[in-house]
Amino acid sequence: MRPFTIPALLAADLPALKEICSCNSFWAILVGSLAVWVLLPNRVRYGKTIGGALAIVAAGLFASDWPLLGNWTDQAVFWLLAGVTLGAGVCMICSRSPVYSAIWFALSLTGTAGLFFYNGAQFLGVATIVVYAGAIVVTFLFVIMLSQPEGHSAYDRISWGWFPKTFSVVAAATMVALLTFLLGNLRGAAAVPTSAAALAASESHLTAPGALLDRNHMANVGRHLFGEHLISVEVAGTLLLVALVGAVAIAVQGKPRLATRIEEAMR
Amino acid sequence: MNEVSLLYNYLLVGGLLFVLGMIGFLVRRNMIVMFLCTELMLQGVSLSLIGFGRYHGSLAESVASKIQTGPWGGQMLVIFIIAVAACEAGIAMALVLMLYRQSGTLDAAFWQDLREETLPAFVDREVPEEQQVDRVWPRLTPAGVEPAIDPDELLHRPRV
Repeated sequence: MRPFTIPALLAADLPALKEICSCNSFWAILVGSLAVWVLLPNRVRYGKTIGGALAIVAAGLFASDWPLLGNWTDQAVFWLLAGVTLGAGVCMICSRSPVYSAIWFALSLTGTAGLFFYNGAQFLGVATIVVYAGAIVVTFLFVIMLSQPEGHSAYDRISWGWFPKTFSVVAAATMVALLTFLLGNLRGAAAVPTSAAALAASESHLTAPGALLDRNHMANVGRHLFGEHLISVEVAGTLLLVALVGAVAIAVQGKPRLATRIEEAMR
Repeated sequence: MNEVSLLYNYLLVGGLLFVLGMIGFLVRRNMIVMFLCTELMLQGVSLSLIGFGRYHGSLAESVASKIQTGPWGGQMLVIFIIAVAACEAGIAMALVLMLYRQSGTLDAAFWQDLREETLPAFVDREVPEEQQVDRVWPRLTPAGVEPAIDPDELLHRPRV
Protein backbone atom coordinates (compact mmCIF):
# COMPACT_ATOMS: atom_id res chain seq x y z
CA MET A 1 0.00 0.00 0.00
CA ARG A 2 1.23 3.41 -0.92
CA PRO A 3 2.14 5.73 1.96
CA PHE A 4 -0.43 8.46 2.32
CA THR A 5 1.68 11.58 2.67
CA ILE A 6 1.80 14.92 0.97
CA PRO A 7 4.96 14.15 -1.09
CA ALA A 8 3.39 10.89 -2.22
CA LEU A 9 0.31 12.81 -3.23
CA LEU A 10 2.37 15.30 -5.16
CA ALA A 11 4.43 12.56 -6.77
CA ALA A 12 1.27 10.84 -7.98
CA ASP A 13 0.21 11.47 -11.52
CA LEU A 14 -1.62 14.76 -11.35
CA PRO A 15 -4.34 15.02 -13.95
CA ALA A 16 -3.88 17.43 -16.81
CA LEU A 17 -6.28 20.32 -17.31
CA LYS A 18 -7.87 18.60 -20.28
CA GLU A 19 -8.57 15.50 -18.22
CA ILE A 20 -10.10 17.62 -15.46
CA CYS A 21 -12.35 19.46 -17.89
CA SER A 22 -13.61 16.24 -19.46
CA CYS A 23 -14.37 14.74 -16.03
CA ASN A 24 -18.05 14.83 -15.09
CA SER A 25 -17.29 14.74 -11.37
CA PHE A 26 -15.43 18.04 -11.62
CA TRP A 27 -18.41 19.81 -13.15
CA ALA A 28 -20.71 18.05 -10.70
CA ILE A 29 -18.71 19.40 -7.75
CA LEU A 30 -18.68 22.87 -9.27
CA VAL A 31 -22.42 22.95 -9.97
CA GLY A 32 -23.22 21.26 -6.66
CA SER A 33 -21.29 23.75 -4.57
CA LEU A 34 -22.97 26.60 -6.44
CA ALA A 35 -26.35 24.99 -5.75
CA VAL A 36 -25.65 24.66 -2.02
CA TRP A 37 -24.41 28.25 -1.92
CA VAL A 38 -27.62 29.52 -3.51
CA LEU A 39 -29.82 27.30 -1.35
CA LEU A 40 -28.32 28.34 1.98
CA PRO A 41 -30.21 31.09 3.83
CA ASN A 42 -29.45 34.36 2.04
CA ARG A 43 -31.01 37.14 0.01
CA VAL A 44 -30.92 35.58 -3.44
CA ARG A 45 -34.32 35.82 -5.14
CA TYR A 46 -35.85 32.55 -6.33
CA GLY A 47 -32.94 30.90 -4.50
CA LYS A 48 -34.84 27.70 -3.86
CA THR A 49 -35.85 27.21 -7.50
CA ILE A 50 -32.43 27.99 -8.96
CA GLY A 51 -30.62 25.97 -6.29
CA GLY A 52 -32.93 22.97 -6.69
CA ALA A 53 -32.46 22.92 -10.46
CA LEU A 54 -28.68 23.20 -10.09
CA ALA A 55 -28.67 20.43 -7.47
CA ILE A 56 -30.58 18.10 -9.82
CA VAL A 57 -28.08 18.85 -12.60
CA ALA A 58 -25.18 18.16 -10.22
CA ALA A 59 -26.74 14.88 -9.08
CA GLY A 60 -27.13 13.74 -12.68
CA LEU A 61 -23.54 14.67 -13.54
CA PHE A 62 -22.23 12.90 -10.44
CA ALA A 63 -24.28 9.77 -11.06
CA SER A 64 -23.00 9.55 -14.62
CA ASP A 65 -19.45 9.30 -13.33
CA TRP A 66 -19.90 6.72 -10.57
CA PRO A 67 -19.02 3.09 -11.26
CA LEU A 68 -22.01 0.93 -12.05
CA LEU A 69 -22.99 -1.96 -9.83
CA GLY A 70 -23.56 -4.32 -12.72
CA ASN A 71 -27.23 -5.08 -12.22
CA TRP A 72 -29.95 -2.57 -13.12
CA THR A 73 -32.12 -3.43 -10.12
CA ASP A 74 -29.23 -3.01 -7.72
CA GLN A 75 -28.31 0.23 -9.42
CA ALA A 76 -31.82 1.69 -9.25
CA VAL A 77 -32.24 0.81 -5.57
CA PHE A 78 -28.87 2.27 -4.71
CA TRP A 79 -29.54 5.50 -6.58
CA LEU A 80 -32.92 5.84 -4.92
CA LEU A 81 -31.47 5.40 -1.43
CA ALA A 82 -28.46 7.62 -2.05
CA GLY A 83 -30.68 10.28 -3.62
CA VAL A 84 -33.03 10.31 -0.63
CA THR A 85 -30.12 10.50 1.81
CA LEU A 86 -28.22 13.27 0.06
CA GLY A 87 -31.29 15.27 -1.01
CA ALA A 88 -32.68 15.26 2.51
CA GLY A 89 -29.24 16.27 3.79
CA VAL A 90 -29.16 19.28 1.46
CA CYS A 91 -32.70 20.27 2.46
CA MET A 92 -31.75 19.89 6.11
CA ILE A 93 -28.87 22.35 6.05
CA CYS A 94 -30.82 24.77 3.87
CA SER A 95 -34.24 24.98 5.53
CA ARG A 96 -34.96 28.14 7.50
CA SER A 97 -36.98 26.52 10.24
CA PRO A 98 -35.16 24.25 12.72
CA VAL A 99 -38.24 22.05 12.98
CA TYR A 100 -38.08 21.36 9.26
CA SER A 101 -34.34 20.77 9.64
CA ALA A 102 -34.97 18.08 12.23
CA ILE A 103 -37.62 16.40 10.09
CA TRP A 104 -35.40 16.45 7.00
CA PHE A 105 -32.67 14.95 9.16
CA ALA A 106 -35.02 12.13 10.12
CA LEU A 107 -35.68 11.48 6.41
CA SER A 108 -31.95 11.48 5.72
CA LEU A 109 -31.51 8.95 8.54
CA THR A 110 -34.14 6.75 6.95
CA GLY A 111 -32.15 6.82 3.71
CA THR A 112 -28.98 5.96 5.61
CA ALA A 113 -30.75 3.04 7.28
CA GLY A 114 -31.80 1.86 3.82
CA LEU A 115 -28.17 2.03 2.69
CA PHE A 116 -27.19 -0.02 5.77
CA PHE A 117 -29.77 -2.65 4.83
CA TYR A 118 -28.51 -2.61 1.27
CA ASN A 119 -24.99 -3.35 2.45
CA GLY A 120 -26.00 -6.28 4.62
CA ALA A 121 -26.01 -4.49 7.98
CA GLN A 122 -29.57 -5.25 9.01
CA PHE A 123 -29.05 -4.79 12.75
CA LEU A 124 -27.52 -1.36 12.23
CA GLY A 125 -30.32 -0.32 9.91
CA VAL A 126 -32.91 -1.10 12.55
CA ALA A 127 -30.75 0.45 15.29
CA THR A 128 -30.38 3.65 13.26
CA ILE A 129 -34.12 4.00 12.81
CA VAL A 130 -34.92 3.16 16.45
CA VAL A 131 -32.13 5.09 18.19
CA TYR A 132 -31.63 8.05 15.86
CA ALA A 133 -34.97 8.68 14.22
CA GLY A 134 -36.92 7.44 17.20
CA ALA A 135 -35.02 8.93 20.11
CA ILE A 136 -32.44 11.52 19.14
CA VAL A 137 -34.57 13.40 16.62
CA VAL A 138 -37.47 13.44 19.06
CA THR A 139 -35.14 14.92 21.70
CA PHE A 140 -34.11 17.59 19.24
CA LEU A 141 -37.74 18.36 18.44
CA PHE A 142 -38.54 18.67 22.14
CA VAL A 143 -35.76 21.18 22.66
CA ILE A 144 -36.76 23.12 19.55
CA MET A 145 -40.33 23.36 20.73
CA LEU A 146 -39.22 24.37 24.22
CA SER A 147 -37.07 27.18 22.98
CA GLN A 148 -38.32 28.31 19.58
CA PRO A 149 -39.88 31.75 19.31
CA GLU A 150 -42.76 32.24 16.91
CA GLY A 151 -41.87 32.46 13.23
CA HIS A 152 -38.39 32.24 11.81
CA SER A 153 -35.83 34.10 13.85
CA ALA A 154 -33.47 36.50 12.17
CA TYR A 155 -30.43 34.33 12.73
CA ASP A 156 -32.14 31.53 10.82
CA ARG A 157 -32.98 33.73 7.86
CA ILE A 158 -29.44 35.06 7.52
CA SER A 159 -26.35 33.01 8.12
CA TRP A 160 -22.91 34.24 9.08
CA GLY A 161 -22.57 36.47 6.04
CA TRP A 162 -21.00 35.84 2.69
CA PHE A 163 -17.43 35.09 3.75
CA PRO A 164 -17.85 31.98 5.91
CA LYS A 165 -20.59 30.69 3.65
CA THR A 166 -18.54 30.98 0.48
CA PHE A 167 -15.45 29.55 2.02
CA SER A 168 -17.12 26.62 3.74
CA VAL A 169 -18.71 25.69 0.42
CA VAL A 170 -15.34 26.03 -1.33
CA ALA A 171 -13.67 23.92 1.37
CA ALA A 172 -16.35 21.28 1.02
CA ALA A 173 -15.95 21.19 -2.77
CA THR A 174 -12.18 20.82 -2.37
CA MET A 175 -12.67 17.99 0.08
CA VAL A 176 -15.02 16.11 -2.24
CA ALA A 177 -12.66 16.68 -5.14
CA LEU A 178 -9.70 15.30 -3.17
CA LEU A 179 -11.75 12.29 -2.04
CA THR A 180 -12.86 11.61 -5.60
CA PHE A 181 -9.30 11.94 -6.85
CA LEU A 182 -7.98 9.53 -4.20
CA LEU A 183 -10.80 7.10 -4.87
CA GLY A 184 -9.96 7.15 -8.54
CA ASN A 185 -6.53 5.87 -7.56
CA LEU A 186 -8.06 3.37 -5.21
CA ARG A 187 -10.26 2.07 -7.98
CA GLY A 188 -7.15 1.47 -10.07
CA ALA A 189 -5.21 -0.04 -7.16
CA ALA A 190 -7.97 -2.33 -5.99
CA ALA A 191 -8.22 -3.94 -9.39
CA VAL A 192 -4.56 -5.04 -9.26
CA PRO A 193 -4.65 -7.77 -6.57
CA THR A 194 -8.13 -8.81 -7.55
CA SER A 195 -8.04 -10.51 -10.88
CA ALA A 196 -11.29 -11.19 -12.71
CA ALA A 197 -11.10 -14.85 -11.78
CA ALA A 198 -10.60 -14.04 -8.09
CA LEU A 199 -13.51 -11.64 -8.22
CA ALA A 200 -15.76 -14.25 -9.81
CA ALA A 201 -14.60 -16.85 -7.31
CA SER A 202 -15.28 -14.49 -4.43
CA GLU A 203 -18.75 -13.74 -5.70
CA SER A 204 -19.67 -17.38 -6.20
CA HIS A 205 -18.27 -17.97 -2.74
CA LEU A 206 -20.57 -15.28 -1.41
CA THR A 207 -23.66 -16.50 -3.15
CA ALA A 208 -23.20 -20.08 -1.99
CA PRO A 209 -25.98 -20.59 0.55
CA GLY A 210 -23.93 -22.50 3.09
CA ALA A 211 -21.12 -19.96 3.15
CA LEU A 212 -23.54 -17.07 3.42
CA LEU A 213 -25.28 -18.60 6.37
CA ASP A 214 -22.05 -19.68 7.91
CA ARG A 215 -20.15 -16.43 7.96
CA ASN A 216 -22.45 -13.59 7.09
CA HIS A 217 -25.38 -14.43 9.28
CA MET A 218 -26.51 -11.56 11.47
CA ALA A 219 -26.15 -13.71 14.57
CA ASN A 220 -22.42 -13.10 14.28
CA VAL A 221 -22.99 -9.49 15.35
CA GLY A 222 -23.80 -10.66 18.86
CA ARG A 223 -20.87 -13.05 18.91
CA HIS A 224 -18.43 -10.34 17.90
CA LEU A 225 -19.98 -7.65 20.09
CA PHE A 226 -19.91 -9.72 23.27
CA GLY A 227 -16.78 -11.66 22.38
CA GLU A 228 -13.99 -9.54 20.98
CA HIS A 229 -15.53 -6.22 21.93
CA LEU A 230 -16.82 -7.06 25.41
CA ILE A 231 -14.66 -4.47 27.17
CA SER A 232 -15.71 -1.83 24.67
CA VAL A 233 -19.35 -2.62 25.41
CA GLU A 234 -18.70 -2.15 29.11
CA VAL A 235 -16.90 1.13 28.47
CA ALA A 236 -19.72 2.33 26.22
CA GLY A 237 -22.23 1.49 28.93
CA THR A 238 -20.23 3.45 31.48
CA LEU A 239 -20.00 6.34 29.05
CA LEU A 240 -23.78 6.35 28.65
CA LEU A 241 -24.22 6.43 32.42
CA VAL A 242 -21.72 9.26 32.84
CA ALA A 243 -23.39 11.22 30.03
CA LEU A 244 -26.78 10.74 31.66
CA VAL A 245 -25.55 11.97 35.04
CA GLY A 246 -23.69 14.84 33.39
CA ALA A 247 -26.72 15.95 31.38
CA VAL A 248 -28.89 15.99 34.50
CA ALA A 249 -26.21 17.86 36.43
CA ILE A 250 -25.87 20.50 33.71
CA ALA A 251 -29.62 20.94 33.39
CA VAL A 252 -30.05 21.34 37.16
CA GLN A 253 -27.14 23.70 37.56
CA GLY A 254 -28.45 26.09 34.94
CA LYS A 255 -31.63 26.64 36.91
CA PRO A 256 -31.56 29.29 39.66
CA ARG A 257 -31.97 27.79 43.09
CA LEU A 258 -35.34 27.65 44.76
CA ALA A 259 -34.28 29.98 47.58
CA THR A 260 -33.10 32.59 45.05
CA ARG A 261 -36.33 32.39 43.13
CA ILE A 262 -38.41 32.82 46.30
CA GLU A 263 -36.26 35.76 47.32
CA GLU A 264 -36.76 37.40 43.94
CA ALA A 265 -40.49 36.82 44.09
CA MET A 266 -40.70 38.40 47.54
CA ARG A 267 -38.82 41.47 46.49
CA MET B 1 -22.77 -7.26 -7.52
CA ASN B 2 -19.41 -5.63 -8.15
CA GLU B 3 -17.86 -5.24 -4.70
CA VAL B 4 -15.27 -2.64 -5.70
CA SER B 5 -17.92 -0.42 -7.27
CA LEU B 6 -20.05 -0.82 -4.17
CA LEU B 7 -17.21 0.31 -1.92
CA TYR B 8 -16.50 3.24 -4.22
CA ASN B 9 -20.14 4.33 -4.21
CA TYR B 10 -20.45 4.04 -0.45
CA LEU B 11 -17.30 6.05 0.15
CA LEU B 12 -18.60 8.78 -2.15
CA VAL B 13 -22.01 8.96 -0.48
CA GLY B 14 -20.35 8.96 2.95
CA GLY B 15 -17.97 11.73 1.94
CA LEU B 16 -20.79 13.84 0.52
CA LEU B 17 -22.85 13.43 3.70
CA PHE B 18 -19.87 14.42 5.83
CA VAL B 19 -19.25 17.48 3.70
CA LEU B 20 -22.91 18.52 3.85
CA GLY B 21 -22.77 18.32 7.62
CA MET B 22 -19.59 20.35 7.64
CA ILE B 23 -21.13 23.11 5.53
CA GLY B 24 -24.17 23.21 7.79
CA PHE B 25 -22.06 23.36 10.93
CA LEU B 26 -19.97 26.21 9.61
CA VAL B 27 -22.80 28.23 8.07
CA ARG B 28 -25.87 27.87 10.28
CA ARG B 29 -26.18 29.91 13.46
CA ASN B 30 -28.99 28.07 15.21
CA MET B 31 -27.27 25.94 17.87
CA ILE B 32 -29.72 23.05 17.49
CA VAL B 33 -29.21 22.93 13.73
CA MET B 34 -25.45 22.95 14.33
CA PHE B 35 -25.76 19.85 16.50
CA LEU B 36 -27.99 18.18 13.91
CA CYS B 37 -25.21 18.82 11.39
CA THR B 38 -22.65 17.06 13.59
CA GLU B 39 -24.98 14.07 13.66
CA LEU B 40 -25.09 14.20 9.84
CA MET B 41 -21.29 14.09 9.76
CA LEU B 42 -21.35 11.02 12.02
CA GLN B 43 -23.75 9.37 9.58
CA GLY B 44 -21.30 9.98 6.74
CA VAL B 45 -18.51 8.32 8.71
CA SER B 46 -20.78 5.39 9.56
CA LEU B 47 -21.59 4.85 5.89
CA SER B 48 -17.95 4.65 4.87
CA LEU B 49 -17.19 2.29 7.78
CA ILE B 50 -20.01 -0.01 6.68
CA GLY B 51 -18.70 0.08 3.10
CA PHE B 52 -15.16 -0.76 4.21
CA GLY B 53 -16.43 -3.55 6.46
CA ARG B 54 -18.34 -5.15 3.62
CA TYR B 55 -15.40 -4.84 1.25
CA HIS B 56 -12.79 -6.26 3.60
CA GLY B 57 -15.14 -8.88 4.96
CA SER B 58 -16.28 -10.35 1.68
CA LEU B 59 -13.67 -9.70 -0.96
CA ALA B 60 -10.35 -9.48 0.85
CA GLU B 61 -11.10 -12.51 2.94
CA SER B 62 -11.70 -14.78 0.00
CA VAL B 63 -8.59 -13.49 -1.73
CA ALA B 64 -6.26 -13.72 1.26
CA SER B 65 -8.29 -16.46 2.99
CA LYS B 66 -6.30 -16.02 6.18
CA ILE B 67 -8.14 -13.36 8.10
CA GLN B 68 -11.47 -14.67 9.34
CA THR B 69 -13.00 -11.37 10.33
CA GLY B 70 -16.10 -11.11 8.20
CA PRO B 71 -17.83 -7.77 7.64
CA TRP B 72 -18.32 -7.23 11.35
CA GLY B 73 -15.41 -4.93 12.20
CA GLY B 74 -17.01 -1.90 10.54
CA GLN B 75 -20.40 -2.70 12.00
CA MET B 76 -18.96 -2.90 15.53
CA LEU B 77 -17.44 0.56 15.09
CA VAL B 78 -20.78 1.93 13.90
CA ILE B 79 -22.57 0.48 16.93
CA PHE B 80 -20.17 2.38 19.19
CA ILE B 81 -20.61 5.51 17.05
CA ILE B 82 -24.36 5.30 17.68
CA ALA B 83 -23.78 4.90 21.43
CA VAL B 84 -21.41 7.88 21.57
CA ALA B 85 -23.77 9.95 19.42
CA ALA B 86 -26.58 9.28 21.88
CA CYS B 87 -24.38 10.50 24.78
CA GLU B 88 -23.37 13.54 22.77
CA ALA B 89 -26.96 14.41 21.92
CA GLY B 90 -28.03 14.17 25.55
CA ILE B 91 -25.26 16.42 26.86
CA ALA B 92 -25.54 18.83 23.93
CA MET B 93 -29.25 19.29 24.49
CA ALA B 94 -28.69 19.98 28.19
CA LEU B 95 -26.01 22.55 27.29
CA VAL B 96 -28.19 24.19 24.64
CA LEU B 97 -31.10 24.43 27.06
CA MET B 98 -28.85 26.03 29.68
CA LEU B 99 -27.44 28.51 27.18
CA TYR B 100 -30.97 29.30 26.01
CA ARG B 101 -32.09 29.90 29.55
CA GLN B 102 -29.28 32.38 30.09
CA SER B 103 -29.52 34.25 26.80
CA GLY B 104 -33.08 33.77 25.59
CA THR B 105 -31.89 32.96 22.09
CA LEU B 106 -30.49 30.00 20.20
CA ASP B 107 -28.22 32.27 18.19
CA ALA B 108 -24.57 31.23 18.32
CA ALA B 109 -23.54 34.82 17.57
CA PHE B 110 -24.89 35.85 20.97
CA TRP B 111 -21.81 34.27 22.54
CA GLN B 112 -19.32 36.13 20.39
CA ASP B 113 -18.09 38.00 23.46
CA LEU B 114 -15.95 34.93 24.04
CA ARG B 115 -13.83 35.73 20.98
CA GLU B 116 -10.25 36.97 21.00
CA GLU B 117 -9.76 40.60 21.90
CA THR B 118 -8.17 41.48 18.57
CA LEU B 119 -10.99 40.08 16.43
CA PRO B 120 -13.71 42.45 15.22
CA ALA B 121 -17.30 41.85 16.27
CA PHE B 122 -19.71 40.20 13.87
CA VAL B 123 -22.54 42.57 12.98
CA ASP B 124 -25.73 41.53 11.22
CA ARG B 125 -26.59 43.45 8.09
CA GLU B 126 -29.62 43.35 5.82
CA VAL B 127 -31.59 40.55 7.41
CA PRO B 128 -33.99 39.36 4.69
CA GLU B 129 -37.68 39.84 5.43
CA GLU B 130 -39.81 36.91 6.38
CA GLN B 131 -41.32 35.66 3.13
CA GLN B 132 -45.05 35.19 2.95
CA VAL B 133 -44.50 31.73 1.44
CA ASP B 134 -42.82 30.55 4.63
CA ARG B 135 -45.77 31.61 6.73
CA VAL B 136 -48.29 29.34 5.07
CA TRP B 137 -49.21 26.52 7.42
CA PRO B 138 -50.92 23.32 6.37
CA ARG B 139 -54.68 23.12 6.86
CA LEU B 140 -56.35 19.95 8.04
CA THR B 141 -59.50 18.93 6.22
CA PRO B 142 -62.43 18.92 8.64
CA ALA B 143 -63.83 15.48 9.37
CA GLY B 144 -67.17 14.52 10.91
CA VAL B 145 -69.91 16.81 12.15
CA GLU B 146 -69.04 20.02 13.90
CA PRO B 147 -70.37 19.85 17.45
CA ALA B 148 -72.74 22.52 18.69
CA ILE B 149 -70.98 24.96 20.99
CA ASP B 150 -72.33 25.17 24.49
CA PRO B 151 -72.35 28.84 25.59
CA ASP B 152 -71.60 27.89 29.20
CA GLU B 153 -68.53 25.96 28.14
CA LEU B 154 -67.45 28.96 26.15
CA LEU B 155 -67.61 31.12 29.25
CA HIS B 156 -65.57 28.76 31.36
CA ARG B 157 -62.98 27.70 28.84
CA PRO B 158 -62.67 30.49 26.30
CA ARG B 159 -59.69 28.93 24.59
CA VAL B 160 -61.09 25.53 23.68
